Amino acid sequence: MATATAAGAHEAHEHTHYTTTGLNHRKIAMWAFIGSECMLFGSLITTYLVYKGRSVVGPFPHQPWTDPVSGKVFPAILDIPVTSASTFVLLMSSLFMVLALAAVENKGKPGYEGLLGSSKFWLASTAAAGVIFLVFQAYEFTSFVHLGLTIKTNLFGSSFYTLTGFHGAHVAVGVLWLMTMLFIDIKRGLTPKDAINVDIMALYWHFVDVVWIAIFTLVYLIQ
Amino acid sequence: MPKLHLRRFAPAAALVVALLVLAACGGEYPNSTFSKHTELNEGAVFIWDRMMLLGTIVFVIVEALLIYTIWKFRRREGGPAPRQIHGNAALEITWTAIPALILVFIAVPTVRTIFENQRKAPAEALQVEVIGHQWWWEFRYPQYGITTANELYLPIGKTVNFSLRTKDVLHSFWIPQLGGKRDLISNKVNHIWFTPNAAMEPSALNGACVEYCGTSHANMRFRTFTVTPAEFEQWAAHQKTVAIGSPAAIAAAAAADSAAKAAAKSPVVKTASLVPTAAPALHAAPSSAPEVWVFPAEKIGPHAWPSTPLPAVAFDESVLAAGDAKAGRELLTNPANLGKAPCLTCHVIKGETNYATDDNARGPNLTHFGSRHTFGAGLFRADAKALALWIKNAPAMKPGSQMPSFGAGEYNPLIKAPVPAAAGLDDKQIADIVAYLRSLK
Amino acid sequence: MATSAAIPTNAHAASSEQTGLWSWLTTVDHKRIGILYLYTALFYFLVGGLEAVLIRTQLAKPNLSVVSADFYNQLFTMHGTTMVFLVVMPLSAAFFNYLIPLQIGARDVAFPRLNAFSYWVYALGGLFITLPIFWGLAPDGGWFGYAPLSGPTYGGGFNMDFWVLGLQILGISSLAAAFNFITTIINMRAPGMTLMRMPMFTWMSFVVQFLVILAFPVITAALFFLQFDRFFGTHFFEVAAGGDPLLWQHLFWVFGHPEVYILILPAFGLVSEVLPTHSRKPLFGYNVMAYSGIMIGFLGFGVWAHHMFSVGMGPVADSIFSVATMLIGIPTGVKIFNWIATMYGGSLRFPVAMKFAIGLIAMFTIGGISGVMHSSPPSDLQQTDTYFIVAHFHYVLFGGAIMGIFAGIYHYFPKITGRFMSEKLGEWHFWLNFIGLNLTFFPMHYSGMLGMPRRIYTYDAGQGWDLFNLMSTSGTYLLLVSGLIFAYNFFSSRKNGAPAGNDPWGAPTLEWSIPSPPPEYNFAQIPEVTSRYPMWDLKAPDRTAGIAHSHADAGVIAEAHAVPVHEETERRTAKELGIPIPFPTIKPLLVALGIVVLFSGLIVLHAGNFPLAMATMLGGGAFMVGSLYAWLTSPLE
Repeated sequence: MATATAAGAHEAHEHTHYTTTGLNHRKIAMWAFIGSECMLFGSLITTYLVYKGRSVVGPFPHQPWTDPVSGKVFPAILDIPVTSASTFVLLMSSLFMVLALAAVENKGKPGYEGLLGSSKFWLASTAAAGVIFLVFQAYEFTSFVHLGLTIKTNLFGSSFYTLTGFHGAHVAVGVLWLMTMLFIDIKRGLTPKDAINVDIMALYWHFVDVVWIAIFTLVYLIQ
Repeated sequence: MPKLHLRRFAPAAALVVALLVLAACGGEYPNSTFSKHTELNEGAVFIWDRMMLLGTIVFVIVEALLIYTIWKFRRREGGPAPRQIHGNAALEITWTAIPALILVFIAVPTVRTIFENQRKAPAEALQVEVIGHQWWWEFRYPQYGITTANELYLPIGKTVNFSLRTKDVLHSFWIPQLGGKRDLISNKVNHIWFTPNAAMEPSALNGACVEYCGTSHANMRFRTFTVTPAEFEQWAAHQKTVAIGSPAAIAAAAAADSAAKAAAKSPVVKTASLVPTAAPALHAAPSSAPEVWVFPAEKIGPHAWPSTPLPAVAFDESVLAAGDAKAGRELLTNPANLGKAPCLTCHVIKGETNYATDDNARGPNLTHFGSRHTFGAGLFRADAKALALWIKNAPAMKPGSQMPSFGAGEYNPLIKAPVPAAAGLDDKQIADIVAYLRSLK
Repeated sequence: MATSAAIPTNAHAASSEQTGLWSWLTTVDHKRIGILYLYTALFYFLVGGLEAVLIRTQLAKPNLSVVSADFYNQLFTMHGTTMVFLVVMPLSAAFFNYLIPLQIGARDVAFPRLNAFSYWVYALGGLFITLPIFWGLAPDGGWFGYAPLSGPTYGGGFNMDFWVLGLQILGISSLAAAFNFITTIINMRAPGMTLMRMPMFTWMSFVVQFLVILAFPVITAALFFLQFDRFFGTHFFEVAAGGDPLLWQHLFWVFGHPEVYILILPAFGLVSEVLPTHSRKPLFGYNVMAYSGIMIGFLGFGVWAHHMFSVGMGPVADSIFSVATMLIGIPTGVKIFNWIATMYGGSLRFPVAMKFAIGLIAMFTIGGISGVMHSSPPSDLQQTDTYFIVAHFHYVLFGGAIMGIFAGIYHYFPKITGRFMSEKLGEWHFWLNFIGLNLTFFPMHYSGMLGMPRRIYTYDAGQGWDLFNLMSTSGTYLLLVSGLIFAYNFFSSRKNGAPAGNDPWGAPTLEWSIPSPPPEYNFAQIPEVTSRYPMWDLKAPDRTAGIAHSHADAGVIAEAHAVPVHEETERRTAKELGIPIPFPTIKPLLVALGIVVLFSGLIVLHAGNFPLAMATMLGGGAFMVGSLYAWLTSPLE
């Protein structure tokens, strides 16, 4: 689905200024896309919750498990302090995204000189925060695998990795998008005319953040 | 514009309608859902009748309005221009409200019946466990210690509480004449209960799997025999015994015969290879064993006798009559024959040395196979020829059958090659096994 | 129609535009994409129809062996999958594509190249899921793919691989198209075309696009789970690991029930165009028709579990889903009555399009009534998974969706080709179809209530089902004949049909103001709409005197360069008019190809050839990304 929307990204009849609502086509499409994504993540999260506590064997997310066959003890898998840190980083990225959009929209306006008006800086910061989140996720995944949880281990592993993996893939797409925008900014400089493109990207990015808040709450915090 | 009037098709249409009406009135419908043999069906038929009545009224009104409109307002040369009406709130509210009202008349009995049907089953109910397998039915009567397959006996007038589960994929349990269906779902035990009406005649009914379950879904049928409570007890008393001719049966018979003397030494019947001391023991139950009672064949209507065509598998029928049950039992039970006739690795014969248990057996329990009227999940009449062909080449008789072919030279889809002559059974051996199985009354 | 003979045909005019295979592969014109959808879906209709003929031939009599059990299971799985995903949805998509921009006064859809992409994904995805039947490897787990039969443990062959992956591919197509049409309808309406002035077909299409974007992600998630189970060893539906088959059923039907409305609402929309036109009377209760469509769509998300009454959800859930299902009967009934009221008092003529539209009302009513019958669980438990259900949904989908689509084809053929279809052959088509449909499906009510289960490749003699099955089979052959008559009529009328002008039927909506077939730019000048029935305003103002008229804001009109609605008769090129037209491009096709190759890699993986699988997936992926990059960096027009 990400492909489909990305494919539409540069489609609109830019020359036709008239639209019924006055809104940009791509912005409407992005809202529709986000509506659709809500159902996708809704299904993934619901599945995780339905399967919570129904794994036949451990390890489990919130409590240790002793393998009755080998006698090996597996600790609780989820590490909330570490994930809280990455969640904080991702939330900060939304703030950076807001600042990046403001910088592009107000380029050259008074009050937007210096760092505040540097769309490059804020785009780079947003992308960097996204990358840091992904690094955290990579670390989290590898440590979980070392603890004995793979996607093939049990229902928890299957539904956890699938849910967070899909979210991670969305973050990765967002990071690529941010870097492309940053590349354009470096190459020719973004102007208020480009604000709509940054705006649409920001919509996507904020959505991905909001989904993470839902995942962090429902998967990590609620035991 | 060319004219093709409805009239031209009227005779054909009338014929079809007449046929359907006739069909609805006359004819034999052995699997009709409209019987009222159980409380489930009474509830369903009550709601059906009401919906049919209301539905017919709605149907007639709509179609009559439609036909009237088509006829009355067809365009005529020089006719007046139609009045342009864009809507009418009162009318539209009316035809929103009336269907809503109609639905209340359906919803109320629906919800009431749902809750009635799904009450807890009475404690004194007969318990039956239904276990679905690709593609056959296992029935257990835990109160009696009976495990059987594909033929279900139910006492008339007694509530029977089914607990349903599956060994593999999803199935659904349905006896149309006795009420609505219930799915067999992996990792879940489902329930349904009903009471065959005390006024019901003893009868043979058809049942089927109605959840698509793979290759032979169509061939996953079963028979239900509703019998009087006395007959049921008689049937059950026999079904819970061990297999005729088995060491356990002989031991039990001997024990019973010598019980009066209370002194005789038990015959040694510990090993499976031991040949029974007396041949008649294979065929005649010990005097103390309950009398064999099965649903009488002559009371089974044509609908419950399968007419599945037999495949073109060659079999020397002349050896069938000469089948030797004793030799057949030897083939099945002597461990030396496991390579050729590994029957007991998948089937259980209570009283013999089994390699499978009821819980992991892949095929039906055969303890009282000879007392069944059909086999192959209701697919074939349990006569000697069909059985012989089945043992020789089951996959040719039932697509996807998990029982492979055992006849020498027959193609075995499981190994994708013919059964080697040395490893397969010849027709004589098959005839012996058939004789043995049929002796397991 | 006699009047139309005097109008010179425009049919040849299309030749001034691009022709040839390459132009079809690269087109981004919504009308040509619509035509591609139409032809492709009709092709698959033939495929799905032949599958049905084989199915019915096997069931003509008890204990037949025309086809094997395994092949039968593939046939019924593919018949359902084909008819739902490759026939009815794309036939609707053909009309979305062709009509929505024309009806709202736009020159194209919002994202023309994305539109081409949707089509190519559909066409190639359709081949992906259809071709395996020639090797006996077609999906065989039912169109509903119930786990665990569809999982690796019990469905370990390649068959269900094609199903899982094929539906994922087709889902991409539907979703991309839905985003496109939502944007088009929200944002490309001509000045004055408020939502409540949109033609009813556009309204119903609008509702359907929302159903698509909200329902498809759910099946996408479920298919991902199944796909991961099959290819990567996860446990979502693995029984031994505690997997829950009911989770699949819930996810499937949360998609599956809205899908029913995705299939039927476009047909409702088409009929709502056909009936007023041939009754010379506006649609009765326009607002209520629009709202009931929304209501059906909304309620459609709250009733999925009525497909699952036999799984034992408990009395509370059974009751809730039962009553919710009954509620859907209300807006549906309103539609039926409003259609009849539209005709009532009209001046009705009965071209084939009108006959099919009336046929929909008559037949859908039967499907609707039987639908209410299984909204009641005690009754449904005797009906579910029997032929009664088969009868029900064929009355809904054949008697409803397909009849509505045929009405649409006969009605819009003159617009699309500039020529009429033969009414004479059309009459034969309609009546044989009508009789065949009833002969095939009405007896199934009987066989179902008399105990015949669905999805069985054979049945025993003496069950009381023989007559009904023979009738059903005979009806199927009638339907085949009627279908062939339609095909002949369709293809011969393209060249030999009587010429039609801009507005052969005297219809009220914008698409009839432009030449037939329309020029590539649709409207030389964007029309300003002042009421629901712009063409009647123009030609028969007395008819629309009773409804509200208003002009759009002058500024809006100026910005859109709109002019009052008028009939456009001149056919000039876009260049002459200075209208920018998107460049044709092959890139959407290449991206679609890349996606299909990428998915095919998983089949190779299942076959055990890891290096080749990786090569296929990486190659397909790289090809897709490369083509996408080229697409995104090339100018639209």
